Amino acid sequence: MAMLHRADARSARADVAPRQAETSRVRGPVRFLDDVLVRIALLVFVLWTLGPVVWMVVSSLLEQTALTSVPPDLSPSQFTLDNYRGVLATGGSLVPAFRNSLIVAFLTTGIALTLGSAAAYAIARLDVPGGDKLALMALATQMFPGIVIIIPLFIVLSRLGLIDTYAGLATVYLSFILPIVIWVLKGFFEAIPPDLEKAAAMDGASTWQTFTRIALPISLPPLFATGIFAFIESWNEFMFAIILTRVHTKTAPIAISEFAGQYQTQVGQMVAAATLASVPVILLAIVFRRYILMGFAEGAIKG
Amino acid sequence: MDKAGAALGNIITMGTLAQRRQRTAILLLAPALLVLAAVILYPIASSIVLSLQDAQLSAGEIGAAWIGLENYRQLAEDDAFALALRNSAFFTVSEVLIVLLIALGVALLLNTHAGRNPVFTVILLVPWVIAPVANAVLWKWILHANYGALNALLSWLGLIDRYVNWLGAPGLALPMLLLADVWKSIPFIALLLLAGLQNIPATLYGAARIDGADGWQRFRHVTLPGMRTPLALAIVLQTIWSFKVFDLIFVMTRAGPADATLLLNYLAYRVSFSFLDFGYGAAIANVTFLIMFVLALAVIKVLKPGAPRAQGRV
Repeated sequence: MAMLHRADARSARADVAPRQAETSRVRGPVRFLDDVLVRIALLVFVLWTLGPVVWMVVSSLLEQTALTSVPPDLSPSQFTLDNYRGVLATGGSLVPAFRNSLIVAFLTTGIALTLGSAAAYAIARLDVPGGDKLALMALATQMFPGIVIIIPLFIVLSRLGLIDTYAGLATVYLSFILPIVIWVLKGFFEAIPPDLEKAAAMDGASTWQTFTRIALPISLPPLFATGIFAFIESWNEFMFAIILTRVHTKTAPIAISEFAGQYQTQVGQMVAAATLASVPVILLAIVFRRYILMGFAEGAIKG
Repeated sequence: MDKAGAALGNIITMGTLAQRRQRTAILLLAPALLVLAAVILYPIASSIVLSLQDAQLSAGEIGAAWIGLENYRQLAEDDAFALALRNSAFFTVSEVLIVLLIALGVALLLNTHAGRNPVFTVILLVPWVIAPVANAVLWKWILHANYGALNALLSWLGLIDRYVNWLGAPGLALPMLLLADVWKSIPFIALLLLAGLQNIPATLYGAARIDGADGWQRFRHVTLPGMRTPLALAIVLQTIWSFKVFDLIFVMTRAGPADATLLLNYLAYRVSFSFLDFGYGAAIANVTFLIMFVLALAVIKVLKPGAPRAQGRV
């Protein structure tokens, strides 16, 4: 939807372009100055946005001695992969933490997509009374600070013996991932032309069959997009994980925070660990940016 | 008779069809609703109940004696709470203002001819998706008292004589956390505002130009009114997120030095999971939510998003 609007806006802008060209001939120098200012501003924006991340990556590739000399020694001979070897060494906590993060993220994403697509389809297509309000209410619960819900959930999960388990953590993650998944998928299901489903119903397909054989298969791209979003959210989560994990299910963010606390002197390893945790999500986000921005526009603009 | 019979038959099949649809709808909806009830509704209700109890953990047991509003009364005398309230107010107001201003600038920039290159959107994604804990580590390193890049940069520019302990000085630590969170918050808000900018019909700008409006007047009378909904949404979302900051405090300062970076959210965590006083922790968490809720409501009341606007959207 939002994509369409953007396209509209663009074509509308193309219409006025000739007129702008005319005025620019009149006010040439001003235009030129504007253009230079815009380019300078863009450069500042890029440096500000990428500078810190680039410095993190560069730092992770430098010898400890290079990092702790003043000013930092950036000569090529100082570059090394030792920090990565250090953090990935067997016996360290980072590799199991990455495995745990993957398990929890896949578990959460899988459950959220399964339950969320079913609920979203019901709200979008099956005339659930008050369905829209329901979806909006689920979204509004995101206003609650996580700390409000985690104190009672911690007590319940302790009683059930689910502290430091994948199931416990993934269940709690559903509290913030499932509402977003429902909201975004509802938007997508509503945007699908209903003709196909109507035709299927005419041919005698049940509502369930229409959902699983028609609606779901043609919604694979949005399902995938929402899945990426859910995966990143789960992968990055910190507060619930620090409260609900101990030893066995410690996730990557927790392991990294321990690096930052414990090995403050090993700055190279600290930033290498942070880089390792960031690279997968940054790559995911860049490769699938169309999907993410699509889901973003759906969720944010309509919400 | 036959006709009437056929009509009746139709109504019955329609009825059963509708009923079957309804049954399927309930089956599809129920699992998600049950999960949400268990992980959202139950804890919210339970948090209210907990806050009315003396629920401290001792000897592996959580007590549950009713004490009415005692936990809330205690807040009034708690210096840590007063400090966290002040810090949170400073942090939230500053962050909303700074992020909104910079993000609006970025959105305007990316809406220019040169800025419309998709590469800039990709660049914006980076701070947005990076793990908050990585963000914390990254800034902790940049702000390092002895080897940090900020100190190196500022002294190279001749702006400081000797290295500053950014996270160790009570007056500096909170603004530094603010810096780190502003950096991470800008992209989402900028993308949100950019989408809003692109929804303003170009014809409005054309009309304003014909009326002789200069750049500032066009911004003031076309852009800002057309951006009311995205701006309100941005303020509400950023207010909520500023209140939720946790990872940064945990990794960068642990609320120190001397509680200078203690925010409400972190205080509720500390009281509950370090002091193991779940009742009092729940009371702090509930008050935090209440403040957020009232603030968000006030923003919506003042800015009235969704009010009739110049442009039409489906």
